[in-house]
Amino acid sequence: MATKGSPRALAEPEVEKSAYSRELLLGLYRMLVKCRLCDEKARILFRQSKFAGNFYSGVGHEATEVGAAYSLREDDWIAPSHRDWTSNIIKGVPLKFCFAQLFAKATSPDRGRSSPAHMGYPPLNIITPASSIAGQLNVGTGVALGLKKLGRDSVVVSFFGDGATSIGGFHEALNFAGVHRLPILYVCKNNLWAESVPLRLQTALKDLSDRAKAYGFPGLTVDGNDVLAVYEAASKAIVRARSGEGPTLIECKTYRWYGHSEIDPAKYRSKEEVEAWKKKDPIPRFEKYLIDRKVLGEEVKAEIAAQITAEINEAVEFADQSPYPEPAEATDFVWS
Amino acid sequence: MARTLAFIEAITEALHQEMERDDRVFVLGEDIGLSGGVFKATSGLLEKFGEDRVLDTPLAEGIIIAASIGSSLVGLRPVPEIQFTDFITVGMDQLVQQAAKIRYRSAGGFSCPITVRICCGGGVGGGLYHSQENAAWFVHEPGLKVVMPSTAYDAKGLLLAAIRDPDPVLFFEHKKLYRTIKSEVPEGDYTVPIGPAAIRREGTDLTVLTYGSMTHVTLEAAEVMSKRGVEAEVVEVRTLAPLDKATILASVKKTSKCMIIHEDKRTMGIGAELAAIVSEEAFDHLDGPVVRVTGPDIPAIPFSPPLEKFFMVNPEKVVAAMEHLAAY
Repeated sequence: MATKGSPRALAEPEVEKSAYSRELLLGLYRMLVKCRLCDEKARILFRQSKFAGNFYSGVGHEATEVGAAYSLREDDWIAPSHRDWTSNIIKGVPLKFCFAQLFAKATSPDRGRSSPAHMGYPPLNIITPASSIAGQLNVGTGVALGLKKLGRDSVVVSFFGDGATSIGGFHEALNFAGVHRLPILYVCKNNLWAESVPLRLQTALKDLSDRAKAYGFPGLTVDGNDVLAVYEAASKAIVRARSGEGPTLIECKTYRWYGHSEIDPAKYRSKEEVEAWKKKDPIPRFEKYLIDRKVLGEEVKAEIAAQITAEINEAVEFADQSPYPEPAEATDFVWS
Repeated sequence: MARTLAFIEAITEALHQEMERDDRVFVLGEDIGLSGGVFKATSGLLEKFGEDRVLDTPLAEGIIIAASIGSSLVGLRPVPEIQFTDFITVGMDQLVQQAAKIRYRSAGGFSCPITVRICCGGGVGGGLYHSQENAAWFVHEPGLKVVMPSTAYDAKGLLLAAIRDPDPVLFFEHKKLYRTIKSEVPEGDYTVPIGPAAIRREGTDLTVLTYGSMTHVTLEAAEVMSKRGVEAEVVEVRTLAPLDKATILASVKKTSKCMIIHEDKRTMGIGAELAAIVSEEAFDHLDGPVVRVTGPDIPAIPFSPPLEKFFMVNPEKVVAAMEHLAAY
């Protein structure tokens, strides 16, 4: 069931990797590039003091984010965390609203309330996130309960990092989802660091997907820098969830290139580690895959980058020109 | 047709009737289905509505609240039960960071119509962890509505209003009232609106602001004082958030004296806020200090009977405070 008006009007996800269409492959590529360029643009804008506060870059995570969310329908839900600003882009939120959100302008979906990058979009069922780690994961589980009770076949994708798996709420949510076989994907972006705390001080496990065993549903670990691997795992989990078979925990091993936020130089990580992961950049890797298969050529590649850059410039201009909210709006939307 | 119902029977009736009326309503919580609730507030619901709408949950207050918030985002009307308010701390992140703020942080894009039924209160030998109130924590969180009825009539009417309200409502039920308080309750559908306070006793000499089970303690004390020639006006602040400042201030301006009675601990409690409002907005009308009679500042209500008695506000303590204030 493709939903009318869906940003990409996708049908069911393509689940057979060997038969992925050219359209899908190019669509994934285009989205990877779009997320990367938007994220890098946001970092530049922050450095130019075009917006205040902070920014939580997801550069390095694009294959995980795109692979997991690309095949969602408009009626599906995303429960994002602080590093999932680009999940809005993937689900089809117009870029101008994404940049207006960073700029805290009156034209942003939350009219300037949340910190930059804490972004949701109610019309497309993206839950505006709180900063509490694993908070949305719990609310997303509740959404999945509601969808099941209403007899709908929509699903929820919940994004969180390795840090979130240490919190009690993670256990409460996944346990509950297991009991009720809820239509939800728990997508863990394991980037090896919870802000500055290394994985070895967070868990004795090697693979965080092992946790799923405790909740009675499948857990799998995939290469989070391989967009097709993530897409394949997520597509199968979405089909599973839609058909009432319950949740899946997908651990995507990946890496954040920059600090926890733009004001974190991340000196706790070695240069060697960062450089090694940058060599595993998901985008050139997928480009090579597409070029080898003659799906992508230099001309198309340049055309895609140019189109996206133009779109970004237009969106930034919109954000820049938008007014700030009126001071007295601070008291709006407390109660109904 | 009205008949006399116990406080808890009024709650049970409201749940039955609302679940019949609106199929978006469902209840969830610990021991609420097969057992019908530790106090039996949800008795008969599982048999009538089935497991899909009466959900015995794992012992995990965080996900009880989160499951309610999430399912309210897709249009359902969940009514979770927190068995004892003492354990609500496990669900605090969800109540304070999610339920209270999701409308605000989405600029009205999402609303969260949940009604959290919370069993609270002491004076029943519950000990440290089955006697707390803690309503003040939530009154400090704009975005949440907080109500606490004292009569069976209000219990049913306020609960129906809460479930139909588009905002998250915390519905505090004092466990001592469950079977000791009975009142006339209409059989049919009615609501008691969230917001307005109730004047339970008219008087001219001093105003008492109170709520929950202390309403009954205060009324008892007021009768004692009446025989001594002091007529107290008792204002039951049955909605604690948002406060009905108009009714509170009108009464204080009429009597020129104000006291506040609550069961819970004193410092930064609900009495502190009420006293601040009265002194800021009715200062010129006051003939004496704003007086509080509250539980003492100890961590919780201790178990041993003499210790619990020391904690609890009773009519004697209220009468003594009324004598003190009336003398101004």
